[in-house]
Amino acid sequence: MRALRIAAVADIHLGEDIRGHYRKKLEGIEHRAEVLLVGGDLTRHGTIEEGQVVADELGDLPIPVVAVLGNHDYHSDADREIAAMLRDAGIIVLDDDAVVIPLDGTRLGVAGGKGFGGGFAGKCASEFGEPETKAFVRHTKEIAERWRHALKNLEADHRVVLSHYSPVKDTLAGEPPEIYPFLGSYLLAEAADAEGADLIVHGHAHLGTEKGMTPGGIRVRNVALPVIGHSYVVYCLDGEGVH
Amino acid sequence: METPQYVAARIQRALAEDERTNELGIRVDVRGDQVFLRGQVSCEERRHGIEDVAREAAPGLTVHNEVQLLEVSDPGEEEHL
Repeated sequence: MRALRIAAVADIHLGEDIRGHYRKKLEGIEHRAEVLLVGGDLTRHGTIEEGQVVADELGDLPIPVVAVLGNHDYHSDADREIAAMLRDAGIIVLDDDAVVIPLDGTRLGVAGGKGFGGGFAGKCASEFGEPETKAFVRHTKEIAERWRHALKNLEADHRVVLSHYSPVKDTLAGEPPEIYPFLGSYLLAEAADAEGADLIVHGHAHLGTEKGMTPGGIRVRNVALPVIGHSYVVYCLDGEGVH
Repeated sequence: METPQYVAARIQRALAEDERTNELGIRVDVRGDQVFLRGQVSCEERRHGIEDVAREAAPGLTVHNEVQLLEVSDPGEEEHL
């Protein structure tokens, strides 16, 4: 099995005011990577208009683009419309499911979705008490369960999880610890560790750190634009994938 | 004078919730009658929007806009995993 070069970025927060700028940064990406993963917060306010900017900036690239939405993309209750617009532009949008992309004889499997918060083992919210608290925690639990299912059925040579929220604390270093429960959940990492993956890519934590690892040893990368400081980063998955 | 912690919280909430900004990553510090804004955004228009919303949320205080423009460079060397 050959190595795969995966470009990744998150939190591009596009809008009319910066239309055209990000697209320029993607010129020549086909020489650097075989696929682009975009980990949510594609927009600032989650409006249809901003969704159109995203579709225009990320559409018609010479390599496949896989995206998930982030919390900003939900803000105007137009998440479904935005996802549909992106799909119309040829972008693969994951919503707690998976896709297998054949790349010159090698199958890349990508599973994931927005993810959600709740916190990290030992310091997290539980499904207990008021209905509002239960609903918050249940949302993450249900997402993690759907990811587990998606990964279980994912037949591919390399497997990557794409999320907006973080699965681990490592990549949040730099954020105030008080807000960790709003930045991610260990349930996301637990799902990936249970079913196996080569890499988890996420965004959301602008003040965080690029590199981390799950308790099961899966590499985690926070690719939020302010964290990486580049238009995208490229990860090369070498050797044997995880099965 | 209003307690600085509440003023800072109110400005931060306004920056997150005001539809002109919806910025969650701006740090707000209040010292006496001085407000300091720090963070990174993608363009000058967003930088000004943050200052406008902060001024409205803190009338009478002096706002220092230390928010920087996010510099995005070309992709660097790839990482082998």
